Amino acid sequence: MVTDFLSYSLIPLCSALAIPFISRKSRRITEILANVTLLSGLINVGYIILHYIIKMDYSSFTFDAFTLLMIFTIYLVGLAVVFFSTYYEVENDTNSNSYYSLILISVSAMCSLVMSRDFFTLYIFMEAISVCSFALITSSNSKNSIEASIKYFFLTFPASVLIIFGISILMLNYGSFDFDTIKFTNINFLTVIALSMIIIGFLIKSGIAPFHFWTPDVYQGSYSPISAYLAGIVTKIGGIYAIIKISQILYNSGATYKISALLLFTGMLSVLIGAFGAMVQKDFKRMLAYSSISQMGYIILATATFSPLGIFAAVFHLVNHATFKTVLFLNSACVEKNTGTTNMEELKGLEKKMPYTSWTSVIALLSTAGVPPLSGFWSKVLIIIALWQSGNKYYAVIALIASILTLAYFMIMQKKVFFGKLSEKLTEVKEAKFQLLIPVITISIIIILSGIFFNRVYFYLEKIIM
Amino acid sequence: MTLYLLIYFIIIMGAVVAVISKKLINSAIMLALLSIGVSILLFAYNAPWAAVFELSVCAGLITVLFVSAVSLVKHDEENIKENRVKYVLLPLLLIGFIISASIIVPEYFSKLQIFSTYNTQKEEPIGKLIWLYRGVDIIGQLTLLASSVFVIKHIFFKRKEADNGGKI
Repeated sequence: MVTDFLSYSLIPLCSALAIPFISRKSRRITEILANVTLLSGLINVGYIILHYIIKMDYSSFTFDAFTLLMIFTIYLVGLAVVFFSTYYEVENDTNSNSYYSLILISVSAMCSLVMSRDFFTLYIFMEAISVCSFALITSSNSKNSIEASIKYFFLTFPASVLIIFGISILMLNYGSFDFDTIKFTNINFLTVIALSMIIIGFLIKSGIAPFHFWTPDVYQGSYSPISAYLAGIVTKIGGIYAIIKISQILYNSGATYKISALLLFTGMLSVLIGAFGAMVQKDFKRMLAYSSISQMGYIILATATFSPLGIFAAVFHLVNHATFKTVLFLNSACVEKNTGTTNMEELKGLEKKMPYTSWTSVIALLSTAGVPPLSGFWSKVLIIIALWQSGNKYYAVIALIASILTLAYFMIMQKKVFFGKLSEKLTEVKEAKFQLLIPVITISIIIILSGIFFNRVYFYLEKIIM
Repeated sequence: MTLYLLIYFIIIMGAVVAVISKKLINSAIMLALLSIGVSILLFAYNAPWAAVFELSVCAGLITVLFVSAVSLVKHDEENIKENRVKYVLLPLLLIGFIISASIIVPEYFSKLQIFSTYNTQKEEPIGKLIWLYRGVDIIGQLTLLASSVFVIKHIFFKRKEADNGGKI
């Protein structure tokens, strides 16, 4: 485990444990504590990263760039969701103490997970994340959320069994769980089986096709800010991160082509199923869930090349996807709160009533579709180049075409929900509260800036693969 | 080898009966039996510390918790009859499994034996070894404990609310 960043996981954990004791009477104190904990962490880690990105001088850079970037993303999405939840208040039905504690524990577990340097530690923290997510999904007291959490439980916990089986085979084979030991040892048949089991487990956890059946129901049924949290960061750190890590371990060994074929196929399937699924959805959140499946497919495609450029692209797309999916889900939460529905048939012309929500959605969706100069464009271009260079030319072409599909389904969504003539039922609708717009606008600015100043971001990302 | 085979048999029987049993109390007892079998196996394969933990925590503490929880739940379990007729095929499957396992598994267990002595050869107290090699697991344990406490609080809070007709 990398102990340089231990405070990023210990401080949220301590705050979570302190919440029940110091804020028994007032909900406000809980909210302040949760926000301050995450804000201070974000300022801290943001300062370190921005310092290097702005100055472009990496002579004194001694940190693990990948871990640091992941911690930054976790804190960014965590803070956005916590701040949003503070002012969201649909009905006062969440147990605020345990709600914020669970988010903080989950943030802490994710930070520990990205710091881990062996499979067993990774597994422990992944389980902690799953348990917290399972409870968080039930936050709104509706039937849908209970159903969603049961689905989540029954589909993702068998994945944990697969992962622990894979880890035990690794133990039988090497006598160690360390990434480094596996990296420098010759890879044999048993390792391939073990890593395949671990990868399939993590694919289920991250909701990649053909294991995607739980994602739309869970994102649609859970408490709205929690949908943003799950889609924004949990499925990535709890699932995709481990696959990228395995790709990083393996990219010089001879076993890659066996796992590569498996990953390329699932990635492609996911991109296509997600894109076509999103086109036919009538529910706003469900459509975003399918879009999430599609974008996760891109990350898997990039990872499957097992090349430095592929890992580079996968990491950047992961960060980008975390930002734009958080914006879209938080906007869907605003729409749900102000109109009372997420059915796209009933929504129309909201742009006139909710301009900020509408235009931040436009930024996020253009970035998702890969329109220059937004950050999503660079990561998609890099993914396609990585696929082309590694000899998977057909996959590169399909990825390019699917990117156009992405733009198409988002345009359909934007036309149905925000543009056009205002529906008569929605004449009383107002723009979301200013406080709810703060996280959305901030992340939108990050999307624009990281796209425009990609040359600076590039030098930081280069450190990940070196 | 015959001792190990017997222990494997006890473990698998315990696991199967724990799953198919209709009375919760029987399941809990069978789980304890399974844990005892596993801990004997761990002793046999030269992993005494793991065996002690398995025996004290899984066979001891967890069983006590399960049995007390089951006796707290008021349920007319007496009416449920244990009916295992449809599971007659299971012993046959078990025999097949044991035969195949006795061919495949021992090789890896002998390998495990080497790994287990790997650390204990260094004459250091176990506390120090755990602290040196797996010190970070303390954070993991703390995280898991904290998350489970809050998960229970989060889910049962609602139950209470729903029972009182939406009022706390």
